[in-house]
Amino acid sequence: MRSEPAVLHPVLIREPDGTPAVNSGMVDAQGKAVEIACVTCHATSTPNPQINRGDQLLKFHQGLHYAHGGLSCLSCHNASDYSSLHLADNRRIEFKDVMQLCGQCHGHQLESYKHGAHGGMNGHWDLTRGPRTRNTCTNCHDPHAPKFPLVQPIFPPRDRISVPLPEHPVQKTHELLPKNP
Amino acid sequence: MSAAPEASPSPSRPAFWRNFGRFLGNAALESLDGGKLFYIWMFCLTAIFLVGANAWAVQVRDGMALSNMSDHVSWGLYIANFTFLVGLAAGGVMMVIPAYLYHDEEMHDIVIIGELLAIAAIIMSLMFVICDLGRPDRFWHLLPPFGRLHFPVSMLSWDVIVLNGYLFINAYICAYLLYMRYLGQTPDPRWYVPFVFLSIVWAISIHTVTAFLYCGLGGRPFWNTALLAPRFLASAFVSGPAFIVLAIQVIRQAVGRHFGDGPIRTLVNIMRITILVNLLMVVSEVFTEFYTGGAHTSAARYLYFGLHGHDELVWWIWSSITLVAVAAVLMLLPSVFTKHWILNTACILAFIGIWIEKGMGLIIPGFVPSTLHEIVEYRPSAIEWKITAGIWALGLIIYTLFIKIAAGIVLNRTKLHAIPDEPPASESSPAPLPTL
Amino acid sequence: MSSSSTSGCGKEDCGCVSRRTVMKGVGATLGAAAFARAIAPLTEWVDTLSVDEFLQRHYKELSLVDLKVVLRRLEKETKEQYGADVTISDTKPQEGVKFGYALNLSVCNGCRKCAEACHLENNHDRPSNQSYIRVFEMQKGSMDMEQGNAHYDKPVPQPDKFYMPVQCQQCEHPPCVDVCPVEATWKEPDGIVVVDYNWCIGCRYCEAACPYHARRFNWTKPVIPKEEINPNQGYLSNRIRPQGTMEKCTFCLHRTRNGRLPACLEACPTGARVFGNLLDPQSEIRWVLEHKRVFILKEDLGLKPQFFYFFDS
Repeated sequence: MRSEPAVLHPVLIREPDGTPAVNSGMVDAQGKAVEIACVTCHATSTPNPQINRGDQLLKFHQGLHYAHGGLSCLSCHNASDYSSLHLADNRRIEFKDVMQLCGQCHGHQLESYKHGAHGGMNGHWDLTRGPRTRNTCTNCHDPHAPKFPLVQPIFPPRDRISVPLPEHPVQKTHELLPKNP
Repeated sequence: MSAAPEASPSPSRPAFWRNFGRFLGNAALESLDGGKLFYIWMFCLTAIFLVGANAWAVQVRDGMALSNMSDHVSWGLYIANFTFLVGLAAGGVMMVIPAYLYHDEEMHDIVIIGELLAIAAIIMSLMFVICDLGRPDRFWHLLPPFGRLHFPVSMLSWDVIVLNGYLFINAYICAYLLYMRYLGQTPDPRWYVPFVFLSIVWAISIHTVTAFLYCGLGGRPFWNTALLAPRFLASAFVSGPAFIVLAIQVIRQAVGRHFGDGPIRTLVNIMRITILVNLLMVVSEVFTEFYTGGAHTSAARYLYFGLHGHDELVWWIWSSITLVAVAAVLMLLPSVFTKHWILNTACILAFIGIWIEKGMGLIIPGFVPSTLHEIVEYRPSAIEWKITAGIWALGLIIYTLFIKIAAGIVLNRTKLHAIPDEPPASESSPAPLPTL
Repeated sequence: MSSSSTSGCGKEDCGCVSRRTVMKGVGATLGAAAFARAIAPLTEWVDTLSVDEFLQRHYKELSLVDLKVVLRRLEKETKEQYGADVTISDTKPQEGVKFGYALNLSVCNGCRKCAEACHLENNHDRPSNQSYIRVFEMQKGSMDMEQGNAHYDKPVPQPDKFYMPVQCQQCEHPPCVDVCPVEATWKEPDGIVVVDYNWCIGCRYCEAACPYHARRFNWTKPVIPKEEINPNQGYLSNRIRPQGTMEKCTFCLHRTRNGRLPACLEACPTGARVFGNLLDPQSEIRWVLEHKRVFILKEDLGLKPQFFYFFDS
């Protein structure tokens, strides 16, 4: 800590990028998935409040994997304005403020997040020396299925031994030695 | 050999140094002269030594990846041999104690065999340490004032001091006694007896400090036992006398004189006790480990019975225990004093048994499982065996030459020839083996 | 041993002497030649070393000017040996900073991204997959590391497992520092245990002393393709280590002493890692210590690690 309060660099929280959109299931000429903004349809079509899973929808949302407790689409999505979300008390919030919405149920995580103990980050631990960028909830968690997916781990460690263990064959280190000049 | 002693009876300083130079020259000449058997023996040892030297050079160039050590088992055969050899050096003192503390005259006559063994063993143990260093070129970092010896905190710094100290003390004693004998003068007790007593204490210290290297590590429960230092000493006082008993027999064959029956009897009596004490300590360690159980005993389980299908060390430790147990039984037989083959078998078995126990049976299980409880096994690589054989060969070369020098002087073959300014002292009476 | 030797110098017996002496001379010459041949690899090795490197003093004995010379020399050697242009700096510890690290075992999913980031950031030997971080797959309901497995290769997280990355715990009383016979490793004022790679003699006593398997030895000269070398290097941290010396995690001090987060933290996709200044009551790490149920590994050893683990309550 410095004796005089230094100017602190900002902590930037990443925002969900672009307008909220849904994967249409179609691909364009380049083979890229075509995303269609929610409001394209929802400006006119009336949502069916009975539906609460992507696969129940006949158009557009079919690929949507949904696994988020007992919530339905309209628990979070704002039926009157699909470019926004709503809180439990029906107050409208923007997509970029999604953390408020998540925090309604996940208070512990929000608390930890506020103290830097949840969520990935980059930049500086010392804000007097530089800024920090932090993830928002949806950078890491799919809001429709927030549980972390299974991932293949990066390379396992290799113990430098020349005799391979039965279960974990080990490459001989000295085969990889640089040739001597 | 180093440090020239200040010999008080010497008439003048220049003459003293000139004579000392002659002494070294004559000693060197004498040591290199011998019969056919001697040359064959030296030739074989030299060949093995050269193989080891080459292996070491390759290891230094290409890195220690050529050994089978790993970040899990970071010490292997070298440190195992180092530990054993420190014990052997300390065991050499087992001749000195009866000779000087209990005035065993016959032992007194041939105590130099043990002292020279201590010197050779320390030289070998230091070479094993050098071969274990990743950067032998930085050895000078240990040497003040240019280096920074981390004394007194690091036990390894203690070990550097006590090992080198022991080397110098023994080198001094041997050089002084032999030189006086060479001059035909009676050694002045004031100039060596204090050092002999110092060497007794020091011998205990070298092995104790070496044990503290390991037992001071809280993260390695297998070593973290107060029994380690006493066990080191008990086993050292088996391996040292065992080697000396064998050496005495070879030497008396070589020089064609019979001596040493009394000392051999004393050494066997010592071993009869120490080998049993050592076995008792093994039993009490095994009991503590296995009766208690728990995570801290996994190294012992790995060592004695294998763990999770890994059992690289099991045959080592059981061979060791068997060898020592058989040796103990043989030594307790009354006929050990009459039948040479029983004595020699017992000594060889005990020597090999302790070598395994202090090496593969002590150093390696300290690392398996690792501190994070992983099991990465270790089996020495070819290059490690070559270097180890090379150092043992060089050690035997050194010991052979030392013994030859000593024998030549003691048997009056090598002595100061007429020098103008100092007539040689009169021939000492040709006793069967003149007292040093 | 010899059978009884004949005359030692043989002043009396000329014929015998000359032959014997000649044989000895031939033997000695052959022996010396064979010895020179045997240790020839040493000369190849010595050729790769410089006199300046050999004579370099201990880090703490280097003046600022000396240090600058050393840094430039090391940069030059890196260029010669690896073909990479790198900058080696030596950022000093900050006043009032003591680094601490905490890791949330509830969210760590065992992906080993931290180990990979360490591998890349710290210029580790490529063939050995070296990293200062070892991640253990542990059985839920047990802290018994004997049931842990660092070599897991199934998709993570497995439902009945939790994952525990282990790296240097930067102990308050580091046994690795105590045992070093040449003071080549020490604890810096900001709590980081560092190694002077140019002073270490490679005895590996510290590796034996460390209860956390945090130290690594350079069993060979590290192999790294030129284009993969991280050019932002620190003398006491991630510069390419010489063969035959020890290395260890330094909490990326070439980054953290400049206020930046360690590489392993930035790489963590789950946000399991919390890093900061233990002396700053407002820091994230202090909040974790005060609000989470924190534990340390092998507390019974009394080494007071500055690395903490916690579970979400």
